[in-house]
Amino acid sequence: MSLIKELKYSLHVAVRPFDGYWDLKYENKGRLRVALLVLLAVTITMILKRQFAGYVVNDNYPLSLNSINEFKYIVLPFLLWCISNWSLTTLMDGEGKFKDILIATGYAMLPLILVNIPNILLSNVITLRESSFYYLLDSFGVIWFVWLLFIGTKTVHQYSVMKTITTMLLTLVVMGVVIFLGLLFFSLIQQIISFGYTLFQEITLRE
Amino acid sequence: MRVKSWLIVLAASLLIAGFGHNQAHAAPYEGYTYNYWGDAVKSPIAFLPSRVITGDEAGTGAWQSPLDLYAAKDGLLYILDSGNGRIVVLNEKWETVRVIQEFNHDGKKDSFNNPEGLFVTEAGQIYVADTENRRIVELNQDGTFVRAIGAPESDVLSDTFEYFPRKVIVDKAGRIYVVGRGVFEGLIEFDSDGRFTGFMGTNRVQFDPVDLFWKTVSTKEQREKMIRFIPLEFNNADIDDGGFIYTTTADKNSLSAVKRLNPSGIDVLRVNGEFAPVGDLTFNRSSFVDIQVSSNGVYRALDSTRGRVFTYNEDGNLLYVIGQLGNQIGTFKNPVAIESYGDAIYVLDRDLGRITEFKATTFGSLVNEANRLYSSGKHTEAAKLWQEVLRLDANYEMAYIGIGKSMLREGKYKDAMTYLKLGNDREYYSKALAKYRREYMREYFGMYMTVAIALLISVIVWRRIARTRNERGVRDVAN
Repeated sequence: MSLIKELKYSLHVAVRPFDGYWDLKYENKGRLRVALLVLLAVTITMILKRQFAGYVVNDNYPLSLNSINEFKYIVLPFLLWCISNWSLTTLMDGEGKFKDILIATGYAMLPLILVNIPNILLSNVITLRESSFYYLLDSFGVIWFVWLLFIGTKTVHQYSVMKTITTMLLTLVVMGVVIFLGLLFFSLIQQIISFGYTLFQEITLRE
Repeated sequence: MRVKSWLIVLAASLLIAGFGHNQAHAAPYEGYTYNYWGDAVKSPIAFLPSRVITGDEAGTGAWQSPLDLYAAKDGLLYILDSGNGRIVVLNEKWETVRVIQEFNHDGKKDSFNNPEGLFVTEAGQIYVADTENRRIVELNQDGTFVRAIGAPESDVLSDTFEYFPRKVIVDKAGRIYVVGRGVFEGLIEFDSDGRFTGFMGTNRVQFDPVDLFWKTVSTKEQREKMIRFIPLEFNNADIDDGGFIYTTTADKNSLSAVKRLNPSGIDVLRVNGEFAPVGDLTFNRSSFVDIQVSSNGVYRALDSTRGRVFTYNEDGNLLYVIGQLGNQIGTFKNPVAIESYGDAIYVLDRDLGRITEFKATTFGSLVNEANRLYSSGKHTEAAKLWQEVLRLDANYEMAYIGIGKSMLREGKYKDAMTYLKLGNDREYYSKALAKYRREYMREYFGMYMTVAIALLISVIVWRRIARTRNERGVRDVAN
């Protein structure tokens, strides 16, 4: 399948998620490169949104805009979600492999591009009074994304509705735990390094 | 020989001309304002110190911790020399006109005991908050005694109420408002006959949720040791021509450090910008000790934390900041009172016993004048001056907004959008955008529609051609 066809298929998934996700997993139509491409495109969309959303709805301090930050705030949570979800579902009889989770999550993010790009254009011609339309579209994009993520998780792991919801909520908790462990790890490493360094100083400075 | 002497004269005159200039680098403080994002932005200095005077220079002997100052409408400057219990009156040339030391009260000699506040009505009546004597004293302009108003008497006051009047203001109807020490109920109001009528403008209690949490979990004994939640105490007040009372509180956590009370005691201060008039937006906030209302709704608040004077316009936008703590001319040690007369600002320093006069620089008078026109609705005239302001300070957001609004009125919507965006005024930007959008659509709607319809038709035609070709192809294969 060519890239164009694969991308067209990702649109199909966004519009017909039940059918689309099933084929994604069981007809082997999902492609990791498409998922990663969507991830990259979402990051770029968010950078564009920060920079080019209309002045009326754009409250960002121009001097604080940083594209690297945007990258961090989208790619890191994405990976965190996938890792947490995978660690959880392997314990909870999920059928999805790590690659499946990556693909499902990546495809689910497509609405963020589909909604935000027109929204950025629209925001440049609306007034303060019409700005609620902008926020409406914005939240619509997010809800669509969560909906796709829900269907994706459900199909990939072959869960029931309730189990999917609990898994998704638990995934958020696990994300918190992972962040906590990460910070703990870094802080301990820092302590060890500074301990080693002071020890070294103590020894070398001693006559 | 002749040429040489001419050259010397020329050089000398150049030198003298150089001395005459009031150069900005000689200023003992830096000028700044806050932008939309709350960052301090450097700006030209609006006022520079022009002269100072102490008690010795005025010929009255040193002033002992003077606490209040009043610039009357006729140009006389009243200084309340609290430590010596007297009032010193200076004229515009800063010559001593009168010293009021004692007065004849019902046949007996009477004097002030550590008075803290002073007010002079338009008719020239002097009101003194005679703090330690617990009374308000009214004097005629020549210093003769008129009346004394003692502590308020009413059933609503608790038995423990201690009356120490600190500041006094009088409105046009003769009602007297007193700021009392340790009074949390608001301003103490007396009618023109000196009868207590009630409190006005009570500050609301402020507490933070953390304190509330600790208070709910602690025992009764612990709770009694804690500080009680009490409303903020006013520490100074001023009254404008319309009878609105401006008050200050010294509390650094308060978001309404300045209040503008209408006659029924409700705060009607306009806050147009992102930040309320609280002085510096740093972690260690300003604490206002005095406020002064000058013309056109412009008011100046004196901060004792850093010794600065913050000038706001009637919308609550910061116009400029002057002064600083220090020991040069133009800086203060312990500023306690601020007044202004004409285009001059006077600040009284308690520890140095000194008054400093500030005069507007080019920038300062441009801003004042532009703001005056702007607040009276003369946007076009104001815009010209705002342009001048921008030439001196390209970071002055008020100027961009002023010009933007004037362009909006003139129908230059696109330019107005640019200026309003620079001034960070989203509301008016949006208005300009709506107008510009309509204008743009009116002009180009026909063209865009023509293009759209042409595209639509060409797509339909192209599809039909493609289909007939396909059919022909199919027929050929079938044949």
